[in-house]
Amino acid sequence: MSEKRERPARAVKLNVINEPKDSYTGGKSSLCPGCGHDQISNVIVTAAWESGIEPHRIAKMSGIGCSSKTPAYYLGKSHGFNTVHGRMPSVTTGAYAVNKDLLYIGVSGDGDSASIGIGQLIHAIRRNMDMVYIIENNGVYGLTKGQYSATADIGSKKKKGPINKTQPIDLCALAINLGCTFVARSFSGSKKQLNSLLKAAMSHKGFALIDVISPCVTFNNNDESMKSYGYVKENEITLHMTDYIPHFNPVTEVEVPEGHYRDITLHDGSTIRLETISEDHDPSNAVAALTALHNAEEDSKHVTGLLYFDNTKASLAEDLGLVEKPLIDIKDEDLRPGKNVLDEINSAFMG
Amino acid sequence: MEAIANDFTINIATANGTGSQSANLILLQSIFDMGVPASGKNLFPSNISGLPTWYIVRLSDMGYQAPGDRTHIQVLVNPATWDEDLAALEPGSVVIWNENAKKEMTREDVISYPIPMSALARKINPKIAKLVTNIVYVGALAEILGIDQQVLEESVAKQFKGKDTAIELNITALGLGRDYFKDNLEKKDPYTIEARKKDNKQFFIDGNEAVALGSHFGGVQMLAWYPITPSSSIAEGIIAWTPKLRTDDDGSTNCSVIQAEDELAAAGMVLGAGWAGGRGMTATSGPGISLMQEFIGLGYFAEIPSVFWDVTRVGPSTGLPTRTQQSDIAMLYEGSHGDTQHIVLIPGTVEECFEFGWRIFDYAERYQTPVFGMSDLDLGMNRWACEGFEYPSEPMDRGKVVRDQKTFDAFEDFGRYLDVDGDGIPYRTLPGSGMAPILYRGTGHNTKGVYSEKPEDYLALMTRLKEKIDGARDNLPAPILREEEECQIGIVYLGSMENTIQEIDDLLEETGLKVSQCRIRALPAHSEIVNFIERHEHTIILEINRDGQLYGILRKELPNHLVSRVHSVAYSDGMPPRARIYSDRILAKLEEVKQ
Repeated sequence: MSEKRERPARAVKLNVINEPKDSYTGGKSSLCPGCGHDQISNVIVTAAWESGIEPHRIAKMSGIGCSSKTPAYYLGKSHGFNTVHGRMPSVTTGAYAVNKDLLYIGVSGDGDSASIGIGQLIHAIRRNMDMVYIIENNGVYGLTKGQYSATADIGSKKKKGPINKTQPIDLCALAINLGCTFVARSFSGSKKQLNSLLKAAMSHKGFALIDVISPCVTFNNNDESMKSYGYVKENEITLHMTDYIPHFNPVTEVEVPEGHYRDITLHDGSTIRLETISEDHDPSNAVAALTALHNAEEDSKHVTGLLYFDNTKASLAEDLGLVEKPLIDIKDEDLRPGKNVLDEINSAFMG
Repeated sequence: MEAIANDFTINIATANGTGSQSANLILLQSIFDMGVPASGKNLFPSNISGLPTWYIVRLSDMGYQAPGDRTHIQVLVNPATWDEDLAALEPGSVVIWNENAKKEMTREDVISYPIPMSALARKINPKIAKLVTNIVYVGALAEILGIDQQVLEESVAKQFKGKDTAIELNITALGLGRDYFKDNLEKKDPYTIEARKKDNKQFFIDGNEAVALGSHFGGVQMLAWYPITPSSSIAEGIIAWTPKLRTDDDGSTNCSVIQAEDELAAAGMVLGAGWAGGRGMTATSGPGISLMQEFIGLGYFAEIPSVFWDVTRVGPSTGLPTRTQQSDIAMLYEGSHGDTQHIVLIPGTVEECFEFGWRIFDYAERYQTPVFGMSDLDLGMNRWACEGFEYPSEPMDRGKVVRDQKTFDAFEDFGRYLDVDGDGIPYRTLPGSGMAPILYRGTGHNTKGVYSEKPEDYLALMTRLKEKIDGARDNLPAPILREEEECQIGIVYLGSMENTIQEIDDLLEETGLKVSQCRIRALPAHSEIVNFIERHEHTIILEINRDGQLYGILRKELPNHLVSRVHSVAYSDGMPPRARIYSDRILAKLEEVKQ
């Protein structure tokens, strides 16, 4: 019998909290091969790992649809909740109210967010709840086999069926108008950009919306579709190059780009660096952000990057006036007022 | 003329938004403070200002709290309902009417007391004459019925706590009404109020405030709500009590309150809080529960502790939004699509509103499921005599939550949906704990919480869920039984019918029929309820709705031989229950059964 020879251990790359990337992966995807959503899942894994967040401190939230199935495919060490169609924001709000210390990463689709759940999305934005809200936007309902969604572009045509003539809802424009404190658009094929935007969103305190164009390879990836890989690659306008500089890495170690750039400091001390490509985009200017979106739409293009950012607004936890500790960590006896308190109430009523 | 003391009904007809509610509450409080058992029912429209509203005060030394069969004293202030109200009176009734209402007294067979209410009110302050008019009739009533002036003034002080100008103005107005009667009219009616020994411990409170207080003593950590009549005052009560009960010296609180965008979102927030390990609740009414159905199913299937109060009103649809009914029983018990079954707590008194207010969280966490509190407009929004609230008799039950690694490691095999103890209740770990993380889902799942469509997994899950909720039966509040020996007829009833049952019982007894009573306080039904039915030849299931919803539930669950021995008496016309209507129907039903 020959002895099994031990292989020399390969050096496993660890992140800042000494976790291997494997600690951030999930189950095997059951989506169609080539689906944009799987690329986004991979970016979530990488971004979370690189950010050095303890996996169990993350909560994965989703609604219903192809996109909402993906939490099973990343962050296997995190609790998650695949809720009901379009209602993930409310479930997240309730969870957040009693445990504000978790990092809530919500994944939704265009059906989930732009139709059935648009009301809940709007109100979560209004409350500036601390969460990352990723929309995996492909313009169609995948799980029910390819009906148009409310984000399908005018003039776009999916694989089967007529050209879409209905005005799309631009969720980024909507969010900016609602005063959302972090609004970005990206493309599932732009891994680097998505990675830095996602990490910046995770460092943000408040509602961070990233609308990611994520082609549906089965129902909406034909040439006439304006949300196909080919079309987006050809027609993407990148606002700026994005780099994320984590708070645990001194800025001096990062190469300073030539030319003009903006550094935006995020709540946890990290920085997102926006390097100007052609025209300078000021993300604190909502009108400029809306103009960029409008111009792109006029030209049937997709504009990507950090559209809008505002770090001056209070988040929901502050508005709720909660104690420092997450409510779930408060002892039972501190939640229930004492007997003397009830005695007092009774006698006050008795007059 | 023989005096009739403490046994009559006063009906006060005013218009909504004229301040009559505070005047009527002063009247009710004064009667109560004289030690006379009394109940007040506010029949109000879905309107802020102008539509007719009636306030019914029943005085009864017998303790009857239903509105009674007839009005003995009618106060007429509102011209809009004048003719109708007048026409409904029996001969000999007393009518106290506003001489300035530009309406005539058209009946000669009543005892008429015309009082220039508006003119008297204008004397005090023409700008607020409308408001003051109401206090004037309370003053007149006080004189007619013999309500002590000091008691009256104390009630005014209670109603307008600390607002000295309002107190002074109201006391002056009371005096004007009282003096006008004294100086210009002569008492011709037999009705008087005789002071009784007051139980000093008793006070008046509505069911919704009792639920609100109970919720705080249950340690509610997240209230999500959307305004709806008649439940809003639960949420408003929780908000009002938060600074005193749940706030630190620095002003920060451990009870979060979110006014949701709709009832769907409110339900989602409740589930989110429960999923994260907190005590979340919402308060709503039937239309809200209709909207929450999808989440209720998710809560049941994914096993999320969650608390829903339904203060029921008249349905279907918008129905009669300001009137009372017990018509959500079936919707609560079997809420959402698919096979479901939910725990429902049904208080019948304000003391129980408080008690179930805190207990409901224990049940939700113990059974990891949505639990409903079912109150109704009558119990929730009217004020009832209360003996005081009792402090929770046991510490909080947080259910089967694994909170530390050591406990977790002791499990041979851990699955979120694994029935370790054989009671159908699995163990859970919380988000953030790092222990056995799963993706909760509303889709089919195996004992580990992993997606599964396998028939054996689905069947095992549904069977366990059934066992879990059925297993709760005898741990839920037991029915209250009032059983007379060898009674052949039993009455099963629930909720606010508690306030009418004694009068129904007495009316039945007048006909020679003695009955036993069993008040259901929770669903699924306690085994004591089955035993009660077993002990009686016939049992009437009495409820305030059209279809006999509780009857339907019991019929489905009773053993075969008992099914033919239960009979439904269900009636609702939107009015608070009046005893005679139900006693007549019980008699008719028993007659039908005999044949």
